[in-house]
Amino acid sequence: MATMPAPLARQRTERLQRIWEEPKGLVGWLTTVDHKRIGLMFLFTSLAFFAAGGVEALLIRTQLIRPDNGLLSPGAFNEAMTMHGVTMIFLVVVPMSIGAFGNYLLPLMIGARDLAFPRMNALSFWIYVASGLFVYTGLAIGSAPDAGWFDYLPLGSKQYSPGPNVDFYTLGLIFNGISSTATAVNLIVTTFKLRAPGMSLNRMPLFCYAMLATSFALVFALPPLNTALIFLELDRALGFHFFDVTKGGDPLLWQHLFWIFGHPEVYIIILPAFGIATAIIPTFARRKMVAFPLVALAEILVAFIGFGVWAHHMFAVGLDTITTIYFAAASLIIVIPSGIQLFAWITTIVTGRPRFKTPLLWIVGFIVLFLLGGLSGVTFAAIPFDQQLTDTYYVVAHFHYVIFGAAVFPLLGGMFYWFPKVTGRMYHERAGQASFWLSFVGMNLTFFPMHIVGLLGMPRRQYTYPHGLGWDGYNLVETIGSYLLAAGLLMVVTNLAVSLFRGVPAGNDPFGGDTLEWSTTSPPPSYNFAVIPRVTSPYAMWDREDRQADQRDLAGPAERVLDEGHETPASSVLDADWDEILEMPAKSWSPILLAAALAAGFTMLLTRHYVIAAVVALLALVVLGGWHWKEPQEA
Amino acid sequence: MTGGDDLTRRTGRGHGPPTGGATRSTEATSGPAASYAARRRVSLPVGTWGVILLVATEAAFFGTLIASYLYLRLKVSQWPPAGVEPPDLTAPLILTGVLVATTLPILLAVRAARVGRVRPAWLLLLGAMLVQAAYLGVQIHLFGSDLDKFQPTDNAYGSVYFTMLFAHHVHVLVGILMIGWLLARLIGGLTNYRLVAVQVVAIYWYFVNAVAVAITLTQVSPSL
Repeated sequence: MATMPAPLARQRTERLQRIWEEPKGLVGWLTTVDHKRIGLMFLFTSLAFFAAGGVEALLIRTQLIRPDNGLLSPGAFNEAMTMHGVTMIFLVVVPMSIGAFGNYLLPLMIGARDLAFPRMNALSFWIYVASGLFVYTGLAIGSAPDAGWFDYLPLGSKQYSPGPNVDFYTLGLIFNGISSTATAVNLIVTTFKLRAPGMSLNRMPLFCYAMLATSFALVFALPPLNTALIFLELDRALGFHFFDVTKGGDPLLWQHLFWIFGHPEVYIIILPAFGIATAIIPTFARRKMVAFPLVALAEILVAFIGFGVWAHHMFAVGLDTITTIYFAAASLIIVIPSGIQLFAWITTIVTGRPRFKTPLLWIVGFIVLFLLGGLSGVTFAAIPFDQQLTDTYYVVAHFHYVIFGAAVFPLLGGMFYWFPKVTGRMYHERAGQASFWLSFVGMNLTFFPMHIVGLLGMPRRQYTYPHGLGWDGYNLVETIGSYLLAAGLLMVVTNLAVSLFRGVPAGNDPFGGDTLEWSTTSPPPSYNFAVIPRVTSPYAMWDREDRQADQRDLAGPAERVLDEGHETPASSVLDADWDEILEMPAKSWSPILLAAALAAGFTMLLTRHYVIAAVVALLALVVLGGWHWKEPQEA
Repeated sequence: MTGGDDLTRRTGRGHGPPTGGATRSTEATSGPAASYAARRRVSLPVGTWGVILLVATEAAFFGTLIASYLYLRLKVSQWPPAGVEPPDLTAPLILTGVLVATTLPILLAVRAARVGRVRPAWLLLLGAMLVQAAYLGVQIHLFGSDLDKFQPTDNAYGSVYFTMLFAHHVHVLVGILMIGWLLARLIGGLTNYRLVAVQVVAIYWYFVNAVAVAITLTQVSPSL
């Protein structure tokens, strides 16, 4: 605030700085447990994978630029297509949304100094990196997964996919799932227990509700995927018969298990984006969110209903009529909570005094694209329509509107919105707006014509198509669009990279934000908040008296400073009453060592060295035992 | 540190009320202090929430395994398939009864630890662990003798039967290792961290015991 920091206040912040500071340099990053540094590592790693997935997408689009093109062989096309899907879903959107945005922002929004399990957070990051490299090792040695990101059976079975390609997929995704589960558990416990005392659940920002719903969906959606992957790997490696019809197995079991995971995964991907939208809109509309409790409930409801609609991915496989009708009905119901949110965003913008700065532009783009993707999504609930269009480009168009338009656009908007907070500098406004328009046009040029070629019957996942079916022009436009889109994204990266060094200093709160991350310095100090913030509403930054009280506390009685150690308060789950004061763990080598041991173990499983894998598992247990040997009070 | 009152001290230097009466529970390094910290808590500690979510995701895993078993079973007319004899009833049911009975000593160990009595807690956990280890030994033996009769590579029944049992046995083994780790730590007395660990391991074991019932009933269901 405006008052000069009193000497006492400076003394206290310096003390906190000494307590929370981590080593500088490489060792500091390898052993860090600071949620902000881990969040940044998640961001940069997922951006690297985003670039890889983007190159794969451009390869696909370049191959399809004209009929009978020979740029990619059929096998290479299958690998590019599969790796694009696997990369974007598992290595980009999920780690970026919960690993980077959730990790960095959630503790700042709830007034905590770290996540509930800081070392598990580091473990989650290192496992994510290792699993990503594991899957990409397949590409490097020329055996990338090639049976699609959904890996349908029997195509993915040993019989039809004898190389190690699919093994990189099964083992890599099991490995990756550990990371997502750990992050999800961490975010849930943090949201439940580490909110600043006073932030009862009804005072929690909507962004945190979205993260909570996503995390719960992950906790329950990943086990079916893991089960399916374990079954498949046992079939492939040891000759089991889960999916083998001749021995009493059933390939449809794979589809059920995969989509019980896969459809909730769609909401896992999109809910954090909803959360980012609900964080950005009030700030730039300069008013509180319309229908706050309804939006919070809708976020949770979307995650919940998402578990009951999986078979609408399977209308064309011959399920009985009652089953398909049930799933069609469930798929229609899920429109309701999505609609509630959509109307709440629009109403907030329209009834506010909106400033269309870059972050809000991305969100408005998101609303438009989500509307289009949502509308084409509802059409699949009409069973005959779905059966007609399944496996055509219409489906590809739909889910790219949802996943790229509705999930990635808010992530990009979020990068602009929180850039000043994370770096302390402003991005370039006009370049930011230009990059939005370029990406928006590129996105629609790429994906809108796919609706039409889909309706014209062009099948997806094909490496080429013949001339004379009326698809050529549309495909050419799509490919041009994809290059425009890539240019737009490069512009975003360039803008942020240049602003990192040349940007105007941003100050603590350049946009007049509503949540607590704006109350601390930019970038935030390693202890996040010198004073555990007082909270009396979900728009904590707009409650000036509370923020002034924090400043008075820092210079005076220091009731909420907690500077006796690596401390953060834990509070009760619903009302956020003071419960206990926790000593948090500091830097540790254990997470990266454990992740390395697990990576070695999965490599041994891949190369079928089961005895060595067992030995490595024992090593991992030793590391785990050592990790828990040192208790917080001994640090 | 003998008592726990010292844990609820004023924050800041002397001014104002204590921080909502919150306890610096992680500083509790004796039985009475840890017990005091546990009694002062108004809601579950973070460690307990962590294991509850672990158990939730694990429950979804076992739920999917059992659902897959039933899915494969309902697809065929004969289960187990021709040439495989129906599972034995007595041994699995008795074994599961024995394993579930270890819930009681674990429950009592948590109670003892919560009032700061580390020795009875240690002995109760040791007793539970010995029974669990014996259970696992017999189960591994039965697993081996099952393998003599039919193989997971014979048919889908064999695949899901052995996968399900193996997954369960691995969880029992992990539970035993966790109790072993606890016993090693509790020799040095009770701290807040170890008291929470006792509760965490206990919750994991209640879950494993519940899974044992579900898995065993699925396993023997063709003979019921």
